Amino acid sequence: MEPIQELLQTRFLPDLAENEKILDKILGHSSDLIRREFVFHSQADLRCLCIYADGLVNMQMLDLSILKPMMSWNALLPESGRVRPGKALAKRVLEHLVTNASVRTATTFGEAIQAMLSGDSMLLIDGSDVAVIAATRGYEMRSIDEPVTEPVVRGPRDGFTENIRTNSALIRRRLRDPLLRNEVVTIGEKSRTDISILYLEGTVKKGLVEEVRKRLQRIRIDGVLESGYLEELIEDAPLSPFTTVHSTERPDRAASALLEGRVVILTDNTPFALLMPVYFWQFFQASDDYYARYWAGTFFRLIRYLAFVISLTLPSLYVMLMSFHHEMIPTPLALSVAAGRESVPIPVFLEALIMELAFELLKEAGLRLPRPVGQAVSIVGSLVIGQAAVQAGLVSPAMVIVVALTGISSFAIPNYAASFSIRLLRFPLLIGAGTMGLLGFAAVFAMVVVHSLSLRSFGESYMAPVTPLQPGDQKDILIRVPWWKMDKNLHLASSDENRLSNNQKPRPPTTQVGESLFEDRSQSKPQPGSKQNPEQKQTPKQEPKLKPKQEPKQQPKQQPKQEEPKQEPKQEPKQEPKQEPKQEPKQEPKQEPKQEPKQAPEPAPDEKRRVQQSSKPGGKPPKQDRAWRRGRRDT
Amino acid sequence: MTRSRRFLLLLALSLTLTTGCFGKHEIDDLAMVMAVGLDPGQTPGSVRITAQIARPSDVRGQTGAPTAGSGEPIWTVSGEGDTIMAAIRSIARFSSRRVFWAHNQIIIINEKLARRGIKDALDFFSRNHELRMRTWVVVCSEEARKMVTLKTGLEMIPGVSLHKLFRYSQVVSEAPRTDMRTLSAAYLSESTHPVLARVQSRSRLISVQEGSQEHGSNPQVELSGTAVFKKDKMLGWLDMEQSRGLLWFIEPVESRIVVLPCPSGDPEQNESKNGKISLEIKHNTFEVTPHYDGKKISFTAHLNADIDLVEVGCETNLSNYDLMKQLESKVRAKLRREIDNTVQAAQHTYGVDILELGKIFHNVYPAEWKKISKRWSELFPTVDVRVEIEAGIKSPVLLQKPLQPGK
Repeated sequence: MEPIQELLQTRFLPDLAENEKILDKILGHSSDLIRREFVFHSQADLRCLCIYADGLVNMQMLDLSILKPMMSWNALLPESGRVRPGKALAKRVLEHLVTNASVRTATTFGEAIQAMLSGDSMLLIDGSDVAVIAATRGYEMRSIDEPVTEPVVRGPRDGFTENIRTNSALIRRRLRDPLLRNEVVTIGEKSRTDISILYLEGTVKKGLVEEVRKRLQRIRIDGVLESGYLEELIEDAPLSPFTTVHSTERPDRAASALLEGRVVILTDNTPFALLMPVYFWQFFQASDDYYARYWAGTFFRLIRYLAFVISLTLPSLYVMLMSFHHEMIPTPLALSVAAGRESVPIPVFLEALIMELAFELLKEAGLRLPRPVGQAVSIVGSLVIGQAAVQAGLVSPAMVIVVALTGISSFAIPNYAASFSIRLLRFPLLIGAGTMGLLGFAAVFAMVVVHSLSLRSFGESYMAPVTPLQPGDQKDILIRVPWWKMDKNLHLASSDENRLSNNQKPRPPTTQVGESLFEDRSQSKPQPGSKQNPEQKQTPKQEPKLKPKQEPKQQPKQQPKQEEPKQEPKQEPKQEPKQEPKQEPKQEPKQEPKQEPKQAPEPAPDEKRRVQQSSKPGGKPPKQDRAWRRGRRDT
Repeated sequence: MTRSRRFLLLLALSLTLTTGCFGKHEIDDLAMVMAVGLDPGQTPGSVRITAQIARPSDVRGQTGAPTAGSGEPIWTVSGEGDTIMAAIRSIARFSSRRVFWAHNQIIIINEKLARRGIKDALDFFSRNHELRMRTWVVVCSEEARKMVTLKTGLEMIPGVSLHKLFRYSQVVSEAPRTDMRTLSAAYLSESTHPVLARVQSRSRLISVQEGSQEHGSNPQVELSGTAVFKKDKMLGWLDMEQSRGLLWFIEPVESRIVVLPCPSGDPEQNESKNGKISLEIKHNTFEVTPHYDGKKISFTAHLNADIDLVEVGCETNLSNYDLMKQLESKVRAKLRREIDNTVQAAQHTYGVDILELGKIFHNVYPAEWKKISKRWSELFPTVDVRVEIEAGIKSPVLLQKPLQPGK
């Protein structure tokens, strides 16, 4: 038998029977690769063969777009008397008969079979030496559902699915920029998995996409079943416990990564997308932080940092203090712990190790068990077994508390992969603390820190922007500054553009309710400062022009209302001397008496207020009105 | 990683196994000493140590696990030896757990031992790495052994209750807060001599249960005065009033009570002739300034106190300005008497500088101090100490006038 590779390279032959023989050799007779033979153009008696993979194709589309037109409408083919077999035939069929939305031709067996195995249908016509490939993919897919590993309280609840096209569509829906590029690479000899590289051109740093592409093309593996394979094959520090590639199931996370200048890799058949480059502090950022207000975001982020510290160091600290440094413990605590440990036969270090391992066992078992049983085990296991162990005198109650707190803290970290690396690091710290006390703890901790400082992720330092310090990027690390402050791009993007324009901080309107409707429309952006004042002074001039007719009607109404609160006249003289110095060129006081009586006609709810203020006898509207507005505007 | 690097890494990791957990003790293998008492031993020149050791299983709530509980929260043992270290080791002979001194709360020294000299105790407790310099040190006139075994009612462990006595002693301000640190500081200084607080046991508690062993009263430990030392040997006691005066000099006093009889000249005093007023001294500043004119050394002690009226047992209208002035002058007189009393005791009864006057002189006149420092112990009784007191009644707390019957 000739090697498959060679066969795959051969081109189609014009004879259908020959092609069939070669196909037999390559594909064998699998029950789900179906061959549909039919005759096309009864007069010429051309035989055709349609091959497709059952389960991968959308049968309806196949019927409607290929089989039906070919079999029943062949009369539409022009020159129906004279059908010339050859390359042109396939092209004509493509253009005139096959009504599918996406068609192409294939010249080699390999190309056509690859397409067929991906769900397209292959059409072979007797006499033509190319095959027609029509896109008829329609396999069963999981519907878009909330991502299991990254739920949020507030935010979109759609997550990636196993279909790469759906995933890229989810991202495209969020970023409708024409600069969003989507490149496809096929990786895996046997799996031929589609890998999409997405990036925003212009925002990514130069060289990042090339580097990603280079690393992907280096891969020689038989099958890529999950993005985790890719992660391990392209990461910067394969031996480190820290992950240098971020994986996520949420499209909004991927979209925000793209906006920051990162590259997203989507893999077919898995909902996990890869983001690169990554900072260590990113693992503490949850999507929630950005959708809730910044107070909540900041608070929960700080809690997560606390949880990180606790989950990494608490068991080691406990063991270290209780074994080596009893003088550092406050006396009541020392007595409590000693009381709890009275009957425990094993030393603290061993007890901690055993409890930690038992907790990890419980977690793993909880993952594997079917759902209803899993709930029971988690509750029963943690409460009853823990309590029973303490009662039996096998572990001390303080240890149970420490382990429980550690476990809960490790769940607070949003990214599962990162929380795993932290869990992993806990054990060397524990061993160091248990064998050598504070010295051991400090030594192992120093080793971990030094190691993490040396890591890089696709060219960016892993611990940036804390070290090396990038002050402009600190806005999102420890706290989450409000959105109106996040104006610059991160350092890892090309920093040509700003994310936000200046002055985005919202504020309430600074003018009266009634008038401001007019004034805001006539201005482009509200800005504090005196530059506006000439503009705003102009608008009152416009108003009297707009409403000259209303004056005589409303003036009689004003008079009875003038008797209302006489406090107003007192206020006016007080405010006037204060605010007159603030007045700009003396033109104003002259303008006011002209403008104010004309300003009196206003929409009704406002009129009362205005009228009260203009309660000076003689109907002269007070200068206080203008001045009051001006004062308010000085915010 | 290259072969040699891998090998080195393995070697480094295996180093952790060679330590053998050096220095590790299980926390329930420790006998934590809560209070220690020093007595003179049977043979002359020897010391007897009594240690109050906590039993953790009886101290805190039970967890249901089996323990060797007998209900007693402390286990008191004593050992004798020629030196303190020998005495401690003799305890280790029969104790099943390693005696651990890091949580020791208080050191009680017997008067006889104190008169003999506490130099060795001072050295031992400073040198040992397990003992802290913040441990309280007190002297008692009874046997320290008895004081250490006393069970006070409020706290689980008597040692802890003694420690807390000192923590809140500023409320009473009648005994100095002496710990190893102040003791060493005074001992090592050129001019000042140490003082130590005094404790004694007093029957204060009334037992609830009749017929129990504690029927009658359970003796409680209280702070009641000061012991005056010359270098390391005790000279004598200062009573409560003198201690109060002493405290102004050596510590910042937070709050104190002065009780005065009601001011006379009040016509409504028929029923309550023995009425008393309590005043509390709240904020105060106390400064001593030295003066030296080449021959005579003198000091001026200036006390400025804000006083609150906290209890008025007379039916007087206290918005009366003259009345207030009277009270203030009475307070001043009383405080002055206290301080004079103390100075008298320090200068003449004992002749040692426990008021830190030498230190103050040294701070202000360092050059002159160098000349006279050798003769300070002779000069001290001759110096003049003048007391100036300013006291103002600032607030009657919640009531302006004392409660008067409506009839």
